[in-house]
Parts: sequence; C-alpha cells; structure tokens
Amino acid sequence: MDVISFILIIDSVGLIIATFVLTYFFFRDILREGKEKK
Amino acid sequence: MEISMIDAGIIGSYFIMLAIVAFFARKKIHGLTDYFLAGRRLTLPIFVATLVSTWYGGILGVGQYSYFSGLGNWLTQGIFYYIMALLFALFLAHKIRKSNLFTIPDQLEKFYDKKSRFLGSIFNFILVTPAPYILSLGVIFMFLFGVPKWIGIVIVLVILIGYTLYSGFYGVIYTDLLQFIFMMVGVALVVPFAIAKYGGFEFLSANLPETHLQITGGIPTQMILVWGFIAFWTFVDPGFYQRCYAAKDSKIPKKGIMISIGFWILFDICTTFTGMYAFAANKAGHISIKILENGLPQPETYMIFANSVLPPVLMGVFLIGIIATLMSTIDSFTLLGAMNISHDIYKHTFKPKATDKQVMFVTKIGIVITALFGATLALFFSGIISMWYTIGTVCISTLIVPVLGGFFIKTKKPPISGVFSMIAGAIVSTIWMLNGYNNLYYEWPVYWFDIEPMYPGILAALVVYFAIIGISKIKRNQELA
Repeated sequence: MDVISFILIIDSVGLIIATFVLTYFFFRDILREGKEKK
Repeated sequence: MEISMIDAGIIGSYFIMLAIVAFFARKKIHGLTDYFLAGRRLTLPIFVATLVSTWYGGILGVGQYSYFSGLGNWLTQGIFYYIMALLFALFLAHKIRKSNLFTIPDQLEKFYDKKSRFLGSIFNFILVTPAPYILSLGVIFMFLFGVPKWIGIVIVLVILIGYTLYSGFYGVIYTDLLQFIFMMVGVALVVPFAIAKYGGFEFLSANLPETHLQITGGIPTQMILVWGFIAFWTFVDPGFYQRCYAAKDSKIPKKGIMISIGFWILFDICTTFTGMYAFAANKAGHISIKILENGLPQPETYMIFANSVLPPVLMGVFLIGIIATLMSTIDSFTLLGAMNISHDIYKHTFKPKATDKQVMFVTKIGIVITALFGATLALFFSGIISMWYTIGTVCISTLIVPVLGGFFIKTKKPPISGVFSMIAGAIVSTIWMLNGYNNLYYEWPVYWFDIEPMYPGILAALVVYFAIIGISKIKRNQELA
C-alpha cells in the first residue's frame, strides 16, 4: 500500500473513532447531569 | 439511480430516529431560553457536534468542486475556513458568550441602536434562508426515489417543521448529534472502499489531471483570493453566534471551535478525495458523470460514485450521511430565521412588552414562514438559488463591518455609523451583483473589473463607518475647544 492510501485510511478510521469518542463524552455528561439532579 | 429496499428502509428509519430524538428533547423545554438556546447549557461534546454538522451544509457543491478542482477544493472550501474559524475562536468566541445575548441583531443594538438591529435582522434573515439546502434535498430525493422534486421538498418540509417547531433548539442540537454521527461515519466509509476497489495513488495519478494533485487545483489566483475572502462569512455566521451564546460557559466556545476544526480537517480530506476518485473513475470508464454547461459535474456525483464502491447497507449509511449533512443545516437555519422574526423584529422592534409565551408562539409561526419561504424559492425560483451564494456575500459585506467594528473598535461610535455602513455595503454590493448577473458568460456572472461584489461592498461599508466615526470625533473635539 502506498503512503497516500495509508494516510487516507488512517484519516477515515480516525474520523470514525473521533466521532464515537465525542459521542461517549456526550453521554457521560448526560449521565453525570442526571446523577447531580438526583 | 436505483437503491435497494434495505437502503430505503435505512433512510426511513433515520427519519423515525429524528422524530424520537425530538420527542425526548421536547421534555427539556421549560421556557423561552430553553427553546432558543437550550437554556445556555451546551457542554463541549454537544457544542462540537452541533457546530460541525450545522456549518457544513453544501455537501453536493463540495462534491462538484472537488471533482472539478481536486485538492484545490481543500484549499478553497477548507483551509481558508479553518483559519477564519481559528481567528473566531481566539478573538471573538468568549466575547460573544460573555455578552449573554441571543442573536447578531441583539449585538448590533447593543453596539449602535434599534435601527441597526432592524436592518441587521433583515440581512440576517436572508443569510440564513435554507433554500439552497432544501433544493439539494429535493434533488437527492428525486435522484434516489424517482419522485418529482416537489414531493421530496414537501417531505423535507413536513419533517423539518414538525421536529423544529415541536422541540426548538434542544431538538436541533440533539438531532444534530445523531446527524453528526451519520455524517462522519457515512462519508468516512467511501474512501477505504474506493482504495480497495480501484487502487491507491497509482490509480489517481494515472487518471487525474496534474492540476488536481496540486494544492491550488489549477484555480486562478484571483479566484483563490475570492474564496479566501468569502471565508470571512465565518465572522458573521449566525449559527456560530447562536452556539456561542448557548454554551455552558465562556471557555467552551473557544475549545469547541478548535476541536471542530480538527473534525472538519478529517472530514474534508474524505470529501475531497471522494471527488477526486469520482473524476478518476469517470475517466477510467467505471462510472458515468454528466458535465453541466458551467463546467461542473452533475450535483449527484458523490452518490453515483459511492454507489459504485459501497455494498448495500453501507450505501444506506452513506446516503443518510449526505441527507444528515443537509438536514442539520436546514433545521438550524430555519430556527435562526424564526428567531429573527420573533425575537428581533416582533419583540424588539414592534412589541417590546410581548411576553415569553407570545414570543414563543411567534417563533413557531416564524419556523413555518422561514421553511415555506425557503421551500418556495427552492421550488419555483431555482434560478435564484444559484444566485443565493452571491446574495449571501452581499449580506456579509453589509454586516461584517458594523459587527466586527462593534467588538474591536474602542473609540466612541455614533449610533448612525452602524446603520449607514450597512446601507452603504448593501447598496454597492447589490448594484455590483445585479450588473454581474446581467452579463452572464456560460452561466457565470461577469462583474465590473472581474471583482466580486463582496469587495466593493465591504470597502464602501468601511469608508462610511470610519468617515462617520471620524466626523463625530472632530465635532466632539471642536465642542470641547
């Protein structure tokens, strides 16, 4: 595999991982907020 | 293009998911600030998700432009915007949040007077009209399901008005999170599958013109500068302001915009290379793309290419990604337009004593008006839509000087400097634009001296703004003497 293709695959996978990490933090905040209210 | 039943089902379930999210978001609304700004409680992750998805709307145009100019797309539609967003984060974001206001016209009244607010509201309303994005969705529905464009637009309208009206800004931001996930995952899928099917850099370099692999994409320098200037849009983007006002504290906007830039970089690399792969695949005879009279490929280019590399189910996810990119911008713009009508015009111009309940009712009417106005333009005046980007730049040249002047010019500013600089910017850029559209060359407007309307518009606004400030300063000094 050439360097450009490697970078493009890393970019795509990185984008998907970053998206799910952000989503995880969103739900963590929601859960914390819920606990604080209780 | 024919899509499989399973992909059609995936698209249908996406719309059902939007309705479910909006249903739960509705429960969080207890007052007007909740309806307008989610109670100013946006945390960092949701700030990033809603900003990333809202700011990115012209996905079909990006597909066309990356096909047309290769890496030049990344420079003109990406890099310039990252720089502007970074400047916004560093110098503006915390000031906006600390002001504790609701809209850009609020800001204009704070800096100048009520007339500036009123005039600013009108240009703001034009700037956030969702017409081009509604039209894009109509085109997508027509392409995917073979239904007439108006049916696609009516479907979009019903869904959009339904959940935006029902759940306000809470609905917008929570559905944005869902749209953000689909948008990122859907678009990220295409490039790895394209590499697997057609090959890596060798395939691209064998089938792309040399200019597509240069960062300028063979675009003339003057045109690159124009795109760079258009990116100033960011400084008066109502979506940016709304999210900054809604943040939980004044640190979140700065951090959030910086993280968003990271997402845009990764996302733009995917979209740009998808467009380049589409060009190469078309040249190699794997797919067939029509070229329009203005030299750009057909708007459906992304979908045609993705269909050639993605298996069913993943194609469905990709299509949702494209639809989500548009929907997230349409819902935000519709709410922003409605806030212009209810908050800026109804309450602060005509009925200052209006209660929160009355303002919320007018906002709901405003959502219907903004959505119908956008849909009418998209259905009956699609020719105007191509002008809309230029109309947007006219609004920018009208708003940018008084808004940035208000934040950064510390000298005392006479109230009339706001309204008169807006009038000057609007008149000059509108005349310039109309002249350009009077002299079309292969559907492209030809402007005086080949200069885009935004430049003379901003220049006129600047001259008038500083002339009024200067004259008032001289008068003050004479009075003191």
